[in-house]
Amino acid sequence: MSEEFDYLVIGAGPGGYVSAIRAAQLGLKAAIIEREHFGGICLNWGCIPTKALLRSAEVLEFHHHAANYGVKSSGATADLPAMVKRSRDIAKQLNQGVQHLLKKNKVPSFMGAAKLVSKHEVQVTDKAGKTQHLRAKNIVIATGARARILPGMEPDGGQIMSYREAMVAEKIPSHLVVVGTGAIGVEFASFYRALGAEVTLVEMLDRILPAEDAEIAAMAAKSFEKRGMNIRNKAKVSGVKKSPQGLEIMIETKGKQEIIKASHLLSAVGVVANIEDIGLEALSIATETGCIKVNAQCQTNIPNIYAIGDVTKGPWLAHKASHEGVIAAEHASGGHPHELEKLRIPGCTYANPQIASIGHHEESAKAAGYEIRVGRFPFMGNGKALALGEAEGMVKTIFDKKTGELLGAHMIGAEVTELIQGFAVAIGLETTEEELMNIVFPHPTLSEMMHESVLSAYGRAIHI
Amino acid sequence: MANPERVKASPLARRIAKTNGLDLSQINGSGPNGRIIKRDVEQAKAPPQQKPTAAIQHGAQTTTQPEIMPLDGMRKTIAARLTEAKQTVPHFYLTIDCRLDDLLTARKNMNAHLDGVKISVNDFIIKAMALALRDVPDANAQWGGDHILKLKQSDVAVAVAIEGGLFTPVIRAAESKGLKEISAEMKALAGLARDRKLTPDQYEGGSTSISNLGMFGVKNFQAVINPPQATILAVGGGEERLIPINGQAVVANMMTVTLSCDHRVVDGALGAQLLHAFKHYIETPVALAL
Repeated sequence: MSEEFDYLVIGAGPGGYVSAIRAAQLGLKAAIIEREHFGGICLNWGCIPTKALLRSAEVLEFHHHAANYGVKSSGATADLPAMVKRSRDIAKQLNQGVQHLLKKNKVPSFMGAAKLVSKHEVQVTDKAGKTQHLRAKNIVIATGARARILPGMEPDGGQIMSYREAMVAEKIPSHLVVVGTGAIGVEFASFYRALGAEVTLVEMLDRILPAEDAEIAAMAAKSFEKRGMNIRNKAKVSGVKKSPQGLEIMIETKGKQEIIKASHLLSAVGVVANIEDIGLEALSIATETGCIKVNAQCQTNIPNIYAIGDVTKGPWLAHKASHEGVIAAEHASGGHPHELEKLRIPGCTYANPQIASIGHHEESAKAAGYEIRVGRFPFMGNGKALALGEAEGMVKTIFDKKTGELLGAHMIGAEVTELIQGFAVAIGLETTEEELMNIVFPHPTLSEMMHESVLSAYGRAIHI
Repeated sequence: MANPERVKASPLARRIAKTNGLDLSQINGSGPNGRIIKRDVEQAKAPPQQKPTAAIQHGAQTTTQPEIMPLDGMRKTIAARLTEAKQTVPHFYLTIDCRLDDLLTARKNMNAHLDGVKISVNDFIIKAMALALRDVPDANAQWGGDHILKLKQSDVAVAVAIEGGLFTPVIRAAESKGLKEISAEMKALAGLARDRKLTPDQYEGGSTSISNLGMFGVKNFQAVINPPQATILAVGGGEERLIPINGQAVVANMMTVTLSCDHRVVDGALGAQLLHAFKHYIETPVALAL
């Protein structure tokens, strides 16, 4: 029988590799199994490479708007293959970085597809079909998720794409129809719009960015339209006709049929957990609506088997997965990790403009029975924003009227994804409006808008 | 201005406590290093329903290597307080046998009239100790360093074993409570103890403690005093014994108890008086109702 590990992680995404390293730090004999890429989707096909592409788009847009800043620039054009190469190079660099980190922490890696064969045993099959068995006291399922595929919109390697194909496209689409307007959908929409593609967003619900605060989502919609995107809300794709000349996409909006002619379709209708072929059934590991069921310590119904990240219930975010990875490792080593509070997980969307949020939005706070105070501050009133040439956007804060608890914060505009963490710390430490008002925010920064938004909730904003 | 001991609490917890008139020093903090957070104050505002015991730890265990178990807060408290007690409190011990037959009959009759709550022998012991302290008020006291603090009611703490340690929740003014009330309160406190949800006002202070190991077949033992209390009663299991009565061997249900006393507060004769009063109530359960 092969050697036995204390802690064996299946999947080396942002949940799995962090979990394995944390376990190793705690003195557990940890190992990790990966079937494809170290760093998972996040690092290879998600968070990081899309940020690289969006940065390219931003640089291009700077050039287009250079005259606004008193800079003469002409002839800037998009070189998509070069953009994709840069994005892939960064992914590769980070992928190697993860392998280095695992090595540094003495976590051995096994390449291959993993399948649970018992409570303490995993079978790993490598690409050549060779199998080996690994034994462990604790096993962590961190197999992640993949793009949801709707019938009729299966990625075909050409005209119909998922995020994976959209990330390595060879040609800028002449007209891209994006189905689904969550973070993935609007980020690619922003990218290809910046590169000159005609873009149509199709959303089944009554507004784009349905997980965000309604007011912020409405501002995003207005801004996207100003940038030339088309938006169809309450719309369903009822059929897609493919021909060598392009796609005819049938869209049903409030009972009315419309045919949109497009070169490409990006399906971004969410993700599904990778729960198949990993041996869940044999061990009767409980699932719920397609995800593995876990308790606050990330244990499945089999106590020595943990599940973390996208293979469990959402939000489907890398930082949520990493955090759960730490919780599972600490629990398995006999500690008492703190519970992850889902309302304290910030979310970021890197469209143009950026969107960032944490906690309750206005509707959900009211639905939860809070009487609220809402603060708003526009980018227009912030000196640094004007200096940057970024006068579009808003910082919105929501407080519990009774206790002064910061229930949520929602932002749209330049660099807000870097600002939201300030409010995440505030919420995590349970500050009230009083401390936030008393904190000194440096001038001139975009962060001053966070201060002003808090002041505004209590009728004390200065610069508006 | 005095410099009160700093209570670690989040600003939000402070505000909710202030609006609801809660004393933060009476609230257990569940945040990092015992910091009181919103959840703790909300819980103190509305004590939660009893929940099933939290999932058992499933840590990784190596096979033959000794394992280092980090100390949790409870273990640290037990270690510090009992070391202090055994090293600084001059203990002495008094042992006495009590006949249980009348108590067992009384208990059977009472329970026949009750549905739901069942009064346990331990509930009788709590009540008997509370009345004994009332009858011997000099023994209802705590050592205060340069004074003795005489208590005016019988706050009886009861040791409750939980996973990884124990708690001693206190039944306050147990002398004035009925058996049924004591029984219900004990059940609720034991449940909270097992869920580690006791608040300091539910376990701090007290006149005396009761530690009962009878259910484990222990016949007699000596317990360590739980400061600042001056006594603790160690209760062994009830069993049938042959005892001589008027020259005849009679089968009787007997229980042996040992009272540990802090000699600074309770001298031998006083301790004996207290123990005698306790025995009286156990053997004459009808007096418990008076």
